[in-house]
Amino acid sequence: MVATVVETKDLVETVVASLIAGIGVTAAFSLVIFGVARSADMVRDERPLLATAAGALAVLAGLFVIAAIVFGIVVMTTK
Amino acid sequence: MSANDIVLVIVVGTALVFDFTNGFHDTANVVATSISTHAMPPRIAVAYAAVFNFAGAFISLAVAATVAKDVVNGDVITPTVVFAGLVGAIAWNLATWYLGLPSSSSHALIGGVVGAAFAAAGADAVLSDGVLGKVLIPAIVAPVVAFVVGVVAINIVYGVVGRERPGPVNRGFRLGQVVSGGMLALAHGTNDAQKTMGVITLALIANGSISENADVPFWVVISAASAISLGTYFGGWRIIRTMGTRIIKMDAAQGFSAQGAGAAVILSSTHFGFPLSTTQVISGGVMGAGAGKRVSAVRWGVAGNIVVAWLLTLPAAAAIGAATYGFSSLFGDGAVGPVLISLLGIVALALIFTRRVKEPEPLPASG
Repeated sequence: MVATVVETKDLVETVVASLIAGIGVTAAFSLVIFGVARSADMVRDERPLLATAAGALAVLAGLFVIAAIVFGIVVMTTK
Repeated sequence: MSANDIVLVIVVGTALVFDFTNGFHDTANVVATSISTHAMPPRIAVAYAAVFNFAGAFISLAVAATVAKDVVNGDVITPTVVFAGLVGAIAWNLATWYLGLPSSSSHALIGGVVGAAFAAAGADAVLSDGVLGKVLIPAIVAPVVAFVVGVVAINIVYGVVGRERPGPVNRGFRLGQVVSGGMLALAHGTNDAQKTMGVITLALIANGSISENADVPFWVVISAASAISLGTYFGGWRIIRTMGTRIIKMDAAQGFSAQGAGAAVILSSTHFGFPLSTTQVISGGVMGAGAGKRVSAVRWGVAGNIVVAWLLTLPAAAAIGAATYGFSSLFGDGAVGPVLISLLGIVALALIFTRRVKEPEPLPASG
């Protein structure tokens, strides 16, 4: 009976969106920090290829974070 | 001006005061994490939260629609019922604030309105499916989800950056907290300001000022957004003065994870129109990020307090709302009852605050 009262689809979507957004954005941001930190270390160690790769990882993860936030706000404002 | 119009004016004023106190109470929850990790200076954090609270109120109206249309039957609601519900919420919040007990402003508001509606028109006035499906179950699920998100997120963070030097990692997450803190304040504004919008809209519908299918009027949105952000701003100065006693110690990565968890859950819930206790969700995120590092770091007493708040707030606020409606009805359907109760309320508030300033400050009620 509870299943008929609860808006199960909305509730499940809320839980899934929360998990993806909360965990995904935090994980991606930690990759940004990892990439920046490693890139700096590699530059110091004069290993340009690895420095570039770590920097690219940071940029990609940063773009994902920005895209996720913008997407979330757009979804909310256009409902 | 008819008696109903007078009651409507009182309702709008009372709802905005409620909204102001909601922001006032909740500032600590929204800015504490950023301040404790030194991501932002306290004054900047408070002003920043107030701005994002204001902006958040404009993002969505789904929660306002839920409060206005899915909790009680608009056909049998009068402005006096809404007024009695607000009094129930405010009285319960003040009582718990005075006694230092935890409380949820959001649950108090919904409980008060439900209790007053029940007293006015019986069980038919309460949309039990809406109360259960849109309020009670999300109220239980959301803090748990925030906790899980916090636990998983902080473990991923430590897995990714755990071997890096702490200096750059902390600086990075502090920078990230500028964004996550803003998102949390934005989320708080979207969900909490909308509850007030919903109550005012319900009163406008009950008074016949707008049709049942009308959107939330823009002046209601602006008023509620302003009230909650002003409450956040002024509440912040009080928090800054008492800082150090209530702030949870955590590192910047935990702060970022906790804020991210809270913002994600509140924004997702707002999108589907679930009115939440934002404080309970934020607490869930903070406890999750804390437990992810060390289980004993979590103040599990807070979790117990949340359970007590779940059990007590809705029925207690409903009982006060019902009693308020009953008392008001003794003076007929006009404005005499609400005016008299408002005057009594102002006197009671003055007495409470006069006594309270002479005593140690208790923990604030939560949103």
